[in-house]
Amino acid sequence: MTAGSATPAATASLVDLPAPAIRVRGLRKVFGSTVAVSGVDLDVPAGAVLGVLGPNGSGKTTMIRMLLALSRPTAGTVELLGAPMPAAAGAVLPHVGALVEGPGFHPFLSGRENLRRCAAAEPLLSSRAIPDAVEGVLSRVGLASAAGRRYRAYSLGMKQRLGLAAALLVPRRLVILDEPTNGLDPAGTRDVRTIIAELHAGGATVLVSSHLLAEVEATCTHVAVLDQGSLIAAGPLAALLDGGAPALDVRTPDSAVAMQALREAGIGCSIRPTGVRVDLAGTDPPTVVALLVGAGVAVHEVQRWRTGLDELFAQLTEGNSP
Amino acid sequence: MTTPVPASSTTLSGPVHAPLGRLVRSELRWVLRRPRTQIWLGILALIPVLMGIGIVVTDSPGGSGLFTQIAGNGLVLPVAALSISLPLLLPLAVTMAAADALAGESAHGTLRGLLLAPVSRTRLVLIKAVGVLAVAVAAVAAVAVLGIVTGLVLVGPSGTAHGMLTLSGTQVGPGSALLRVSLAAAWTVGQLAAVGAVALAVSSVTEHPLVVLAAVLGGLIMFGVLSAVPALDWLQPVLLTTGWFTITDVLRDPLPLDGLASTSLRAACYLLIGLAVALARTATREA
Repeated sequence: MTAGSATPAATASLVDLPAPAIRVRGLRKVFGSTVAVSGVDLDVPAGAVLGVLGPNGSGKTTMIRMLLALSRPTAGTVELLGAPMPAAAGAVLPHVGALVEGPGFHPFLSGRENLRRCAAAEPLLSSRAIPDAVEGVLSRVGLASAAGRRYRAYSLGMKQRLGLAAALLVPRRLVILDEPTNGLDPAGTRDVRTIIAELHAGGATVLVSSHLLAEVEATCTHVAVLDQGSLIAAGPLAALLDGGAPALDVRTPDSAVAMQALREAGIGCSIRPTGVRVDLAGTDPPTVVALLVGAGVAVHEVQRWRTGLDELFAQLTEGNSP
Repeated sequence: MTTPVPASSTTLSGPVHAPLGRLVRSELRWVLRRPRTQIWLGILALIPVLMGIGIVVTDSPGGSGLFTQIAGNGLVLPVAALSISLPLLLPLAVTMAAADALAGESAHGTLRGLLLAPVSRTRLVLIKAVGVLAVAVAAVAAVAVLGIVTGLVLVGPSGTAHGMLTLSGTQVGPGSALLRVSLAAAWTVGQLAAVGAVALAVSSVTEHPLVVLAAVLGGLIMFGVLSAVPALDWLQPVLLTTGWFTITDVLRDPLPLDGLASTSLRAACYLLIGLAVALARTATREA
């Protein structure tokens, strides 16, 4: 098993690529007769910020729990930072910070005491470094002034911030955040984005699951879309967005003429309120514009049509929903 | 076990652990600072006090048995208080701690945090066992120490100066009497450790602390019922509660050790089985 896992890493290093921070093969989880995750293959390059998207119940959290060895896969393998999980959990997890299924803390302890308790279990923190690490991370997540209050009295957003703090107690190589902005106000959401950007700038790999598409589009370099336990799309954000059928939006009052000219030239197109949308498969924008102008169409504006993440998401998950 | 990946900065060292002493200290602070632990320890400490007051108030001369022995016999009070608390009140303290240890932490989502740190699952159970044992020791100490203090106050130093009047009618010196109280306390901790280990085993299979309380206390009551049925006498040797009355052996002279030894051995069996189940279940637990 060890030899098997070492080989792909060695091959990867030949082409000068670092080992992926997360490598998942054939991951599957079955609860009774429910298939929560089925056959997921995923590589997350080191240093990437991966947004895991999916509707509620699509298997995001189940997958994350298996990545972290909190739950055992029915089938399939997981490697984090190049080492197999859960076998190497003792070596891997100290470098991994995670917020899974919401923050979990003791209500009768203050935020600071809760973090001290988490810090006591962190292998990479020396006992002397604990007080500074706790205070540092409390101010990093904006809880310095509320640190002495009991967790019981925290608002949902403050609880979420404390959960984030626990994940960031130690400088991490991989940070996994499951719905980190749940319950956060706009300022909190912005703070999370800032933290993710800082982690990214520091070279850490980040995995964020979310159902907020705008958030993923703003912070992520890579996207994976889960639906009903299957990975239906994965890749760099830009490639995925361009990967949707390339098209050109042409603003013109002469839609009918334009449609006819394009059809005659064998170019796919559809009518829009402001003009026509031209399918760019097998052709390119200059050809299309030349053709339209040649046919006497008044072209007011031409714009490359980019798929937004929400449109892509709708396309991908549409029709699959129960 | 971990393959260092060459040609990148992603080299991992072997498994690393947080210092065990630090984890245990953190666990003890958490267990003993819990409001419910402190309240229950306070209630337990009241028991010998209430018993002492009750005995002084009624103070009926004549009659025999444990209670009348306490009057004029300060060092009998802690043993009597331990024996009164043993069937339910002390096991409740330990069971509450064990219920919070795994099931409660799981319900709060804090077990995940510990496993992600990571604390290995074997260490987790051992640390939790230490925490439960600490509650057992604290609970027994609360009853025993307050028992001794109450005895001294109510009976007065003069009464205790002569030591302890045993159930056998002989007198033993104060040093020997204290030793006997300590023996009773240590034996009680052993019995509670067995209860705690079984509770920890139940705690490792559920995330509802209430289930642990119901199962363990229900089990103890059931043991009591079973041992009261004459046709089920053959069950006696395997019931933990069998021989819990032997604690009063420390008040006899000469001190009979057979009962205390065999009940301690039985407790050790329960302890081992409980810990083994807790370790096995935690190893595969979904957190």
